[in-house]
Amino acid sequence: MTNSIEGTASTVPQRTRPPSGSRHRGAIAGNDDGGATPIAGPPRRPGGSLVHGLLTNRKAATGALILGVFIVAALLAPVLYPDDPSRITALASQPPSSDFPLGTTAKGQDVLALTVHGARSSLFVGLTVGIVATFVGLLVGLASAYFGKLADDALSLLTNVFLLLPGLPLLVILAAFLPPGLGTVILVLIVTGWAGSARVLRSQALSIRAKDFVAAAVVAGERPLRIMFREILPNMASIVMGTLLACVIYGIGAQAGLEFLGLGDVSTVSWGTNLYWASNDGALLVGAWWAFIPSGLCIALVAFALALINYAVDEVTNPRLRKVTFRTGKRQADPTDKGKASA
Amino acid sequence: MTHPRFLRSVRNAAAVLSLSVLVLTGCSANPPSTSADGPERTLLTIPREDMGTFVQNFNPFSPTVAPMTQQAIYESMLIYNPADGTTTPWLATEWEVAEDGKSIVFTLRDGVTWSDGEPFVGEDVVNTFDLQREILGGYDYLDTVTADGNTVTFTFTTPFSPALFEVGQQIIVPEHVWSAIEDPSRETNAVPVGTGPYTEVAQFQAQSFVLEKNPNYWQPEKQQIEGIRMLAFAGNDGANLAAVNGDVDWAPQFMPNIEETFISKDPENRDYWFPPTGAMINWQLNTAKAPFDDVDVRKALSMAVNREQVTSIGMTGYTEPADCTGLSGAYENWKSDEVLADCDWTEYNVDAANALLDEAGYAKGADGMRTMEDGSPFAFDISVGSASSDWLSVANVISQNLADVGITATVDAPDWATVVSGYELGEFDTGIVWSNAAPTPYQYFRGMMGTSTVEAVGEKTFENYHRYGSEEAEQLLTDFAASSDEAEQGEIVNQLQEVYSENAPAVPLFPGPEWGAYTDVNFEGWPTEENPYATLSVRAPTTVLLLTSLKPASAE
Amino acid sequence: MRFILRRLGFYFIAFWACITLNFMLPRFMPGDPVSRMFARSQDRMQPEQIDQLRRLFGVDDRPIWEQYINYIGDVLTGQMGVSISRFPTPVTEVIASQIGWTILLGGVSLIIAAVVGNLLGILAAWRRGGLVDSGLPPLLIFIGSFPYFWLAMAALYLFGVVLGWFPLRHAFTSGLEPGFTGEYLLDVAHHLVLPALTIVLVSIGGWMLGMRNTMIATNAEDYIIMAEAKGLKPGRIMFRYAARNAMLPAVTSFGMSLGFVVGGALLTEVVFAYPGVGYQLLAAVQGLDYPLMQGLFLTITAAVLIANFLVDILYVRLDPRVRTS
Repeated sequence: MTNSIEGTASTVPQRTRPPSGSRHRGAIAGNDDGGATPIAGPPRRPGGSLVHGLLTNRKAATGALILGVFIVAALLAPVLYPDDPSRITALASQPPSSDFPLGTTAKGQDVLALTVHGARSSLFVGLTVGIVATFVGLLVGLASAYFGKLADDALSLLTNVFLLLPGLPLLVILAAFLPPGLGTVILVLIVTGWAGSARVLRSQALSIRAKDFVAAAVVAGERPLRIMFREILPNMASIVMGTLLACVIYGIGAQAGLEFLGLGDVSTVSWGTNLYWASNDGALLVGAWWAFIPSGLCIALVAFALALINYAVDEVTNPRLRKVTFRTGKRQADPTDKGKASA
Repeated sequence: MTHPRFLRSVRNAAAVLSLSVLVLTGCSANPPSTSADGPERTLLTIPREDMGTFVQNFNPFSPTVAPMTQQAIYESMLIYNPADGTTTPWLATEWEVAEDGKSIVFTLRDGVTWSDGEPFVGEDVVNTFDLQREILGGYDYLDTVTADGNTVTFTFTTPFSPALFEVGQQIIVPEHVWSAIEDPSRETNAVPVGTGPYTEVAQFQAQSFVLEKNPNYWQPEKQQIEGIRMLAFAGNDGANLAAVNGDVDWAPQFMPNIEETFISKDPENRDYWFPPTGAMINWQLNTAKAPFDDVDVRKALSMAVNREQVTSIGMTGYTEPADCTGLSGAYENWKSDEVLADCDWTEYNVDAANALLDEAGYAKGADGMRTMEDGSPFAFDISVGSASSDWLSVANVISQNLADVGITATVDAPDWATVVSGYELGEFDTGIVWSNAAPTPYQYFRGMMGTSTVEAVGEKTFENYHRYGSEEAEQLLTDFAASSDEAEQGEIVNQLQEVYSENAPAVPLFPGPEWGAYTDVNFEGWPTEENPYATLSVRAPTTVLLLTSLKPASAE
Repeated sequence: MRFILRRLGFYFIAFWACITLNFMLPRFMPGDPVSRMFARSQDRMQPEQIDQLRRLFGVDDRPIWEQYINYIGDVLTGQMGVSISRFPTPVTEVIASQIGWTILLGGVSLIIAAVVGNLLGILAAWRRGGLVDSGLPPLLIFIGSFPYFWLAMAALYLFGVVLGWFPLRHAFTSGLEPGFTGEYLLDVAHHLVLPALTIVLVSIGGWMLGMRNTMIATNAEDYIIMAEAKGLKPGRIMFRYAARNAMLPAVTSFGMSLGFVVGGALLTEVVFAYPGVGYQLLAAVQGLDYPLMQGLFLTITAAVLIANFLVDILYVRLDPRVRTS
């Protein structure tokens, strides 16, 4: 529902729910096997078509461009600002000027340096959380779908218990055990985030598991791992991609939310901690908008870029969602889709 | 069959929506609401920044009591004001400390009544101390409490002169009410009966409540304000916003950059005063651990810290650097001139720090960083709770300062619970920590270097986390407790400061400021640096002095 | 019926697992509430008081299994103990006094976001390529990309402080007597606008896109083509045929979101000083108030489970395929 830690659990299902809702309309589990999924797709879709589709999609290009700028900035941060960005270098609360394009904080730190360095931690946490949470979710989802019955029940139960777990207290408890730092934040976000992706991926895997070609592979005596990863997985490429992007958005947003509350590691420089300090130093009360806006805008832009790519993934894999260039004012039957589906 | 029903529910939802849209647009067209907090405010409005909601609990023995209970509803026998060092008789008119320091006799004020009209008597005092010890314990040195007419006599098991202020500032509850309460520790005391100026609870809501005048107050001429309204806030931000917006009269919370955020919006009427009368804030070094067991290291680290930067950046200039006495502004009169004259180890001096560290055997390596004797890097953590953002900045400044003398100090900021747990067990390197605050420096020095408060590492302790004890200091503390003569006590405290300055048990940073800002648009008579009859704290014993001094602002 | 029983059994196990986790988590936490309180009060508390408070709160040193059995019994009988940060108020009372505001805020924003979002989604799917379809989604995604608290603070400062259109704090004006008077209800609504608006803004995009994409899929179904061929009015096809069938996933999401309303708006409540359980949860965690924390977990868990169960039942009614599977 939101991209912060507003009820971490609620964030996951909402966010990881790719825009095409009909693929998994289940409640907590069980009834979302998607028997009548209209977009279950062809038995085997070459992975290349997704990549190709994305390369030619304008939304994906825009998203990738924004994301690329931030990744480059994050990589170049140590070159652009070799000094510790939190070092006090100037007068406090200076508005943007030629020396400090984004002004200085109430402590006299360079806001631009903090913002550029902040990208490192925020992107790193977001990407790590996204990849690991998706991977864990994928493993659980595939195992659940392939083995079915008891394993499915047990794994579903586990998933749903984690979905219910309030993430915020869990973070504090884990943070108390583990040394504060990015590692702890990452771990906690993975622990609270994987279940959402597991649920989405499980329901998709289940519908593919039910297809004939999987049954054929089982009869042919292929090994479970091979079936899971070579037969089922390739047919889930788009939803895995969508889940991954949603998990990255979740990771970045939740990290910022936790850090804003002072529950992350306040001594690292990230967009979340920048906002924490801006709020602590009363940046808005003194009208120092330059300390408050950049980090928030960066989070929004990265999340926006990822959402655009996600949107594009959906368009590519579900041609009906593509932008229409001609229309009759009524619903249109989409001939391209029919062609694809029977390919 | 299902579908019509389903659609009906959708229609219902749509109806709810259109209704709420109506309500929303209907009221957003309204001008900003002129509320009860409007210009003609007659209630002294105060924010409480760390309670998101209030619970109607006016039990003064409860740790989670509603704010103002101990300030406006109940009163104590005397009030000590750390801002000017004076003591004001309150429910007692005079007291007599015995020569041997083993007893005190208080004479209670005549004509004081409880808010329900019953007279205030000695039995109330006796019963209060019974309750206090039964519910919360403490007062271990107290032997007997007996009332005789309007005098109350306290006897102690050992001579203990600091008892005067501890006993004297205990708030007193009515015996005729509390004797009827079955389980005082779980009582919520929703309708309190007290001797204070504002005892009548009105309009209790989770987000605010009002205390109105005590109809039977013993100084009715001092009840100049109509009442007190407390507002609940989940954090400083909201409370500061209320102060900046002029919605409250008194802002007793930390405000960043107060000149700009608060004062500049109405410089005519707004002012603040942050007297350094809080507890001394120390950078404590775990003296049970090498290399912090070495006094030279402690002093060198102290000299490496730029206290000007610590106070100006970490504490936004709201306080002043500490000196070699280690005493905060609350003990200004106790400070030893000799120690102050010969003060070097709290001055910022990178060269001296470097020299002292070189001498102590922590030479700089090729990379400019120091190493321990075994060759490992001279590196440690500075622990501080993540919730204390100001102290966190302080720790960051110290860490930057130490890098200049070749020491790596990492700021470790988990939750306070973890930090304190480490402090209590002695499992920490260094940390930013408060100290004991009481009317006399006795408690402070006892927690700083008394041997009685030292526990081994792994054993829990609630003071002297840095685990430093000095036999000499312990003896002086015992002498102080046994003395009732002020001049003699002053001499002992001078000697304690010498022991402190010589051994540097901790690195004093700055005295904690007592936050307080106000606007005199609605009320006047606030304490100032020139007229420090109280601090601007809303949680101190002196708060009642303020409540009985404020008047509605005279119409211009 | 079998399906319902099966789900019931599942929820029962999930509930048990959750309350067991709730039981265990606080017991792994280092430090205790009294030390925490001491650190927060800093110099305002004397060291002697620590022991006193420990004694007051009572330290439970019974064997862990005995505590567990006791805990399960308490949960089943609805006894959640006494809050530490609100001592001696019972946990149930703390929650009861605030849950109303949370439900009001969360419920109103959820309903507005879901209804408006879904309507926009239907509209966008029906008029493919129109303004609503091409312009709105990117805009809503962009707004929804902002960190929630950031948007809330920006709205608070812009509309509350700078423009002065809306109140800065609380659920209603202090001193106003709660009651079913027009003045009070308007005041409550006025206080609700900003917090609800920010929640709606960030969440509406998800609803809209979900509905739009489902609708597009539904529009290709044969029965829509059939309806068109029959010459039915477009409006009738849009709402009675397409939207009605595309509604299923939205109903699911709505049901699930309903469950999260209770634990939902933590940061809103902090930014707008809105008296609700979300803030209380943060305070309980920060103050290591185990009983209150557990009580709140329990309430949130129960809300989520009940909402999910209702969705399940609704599904049995709405989608015949579930009954046969």
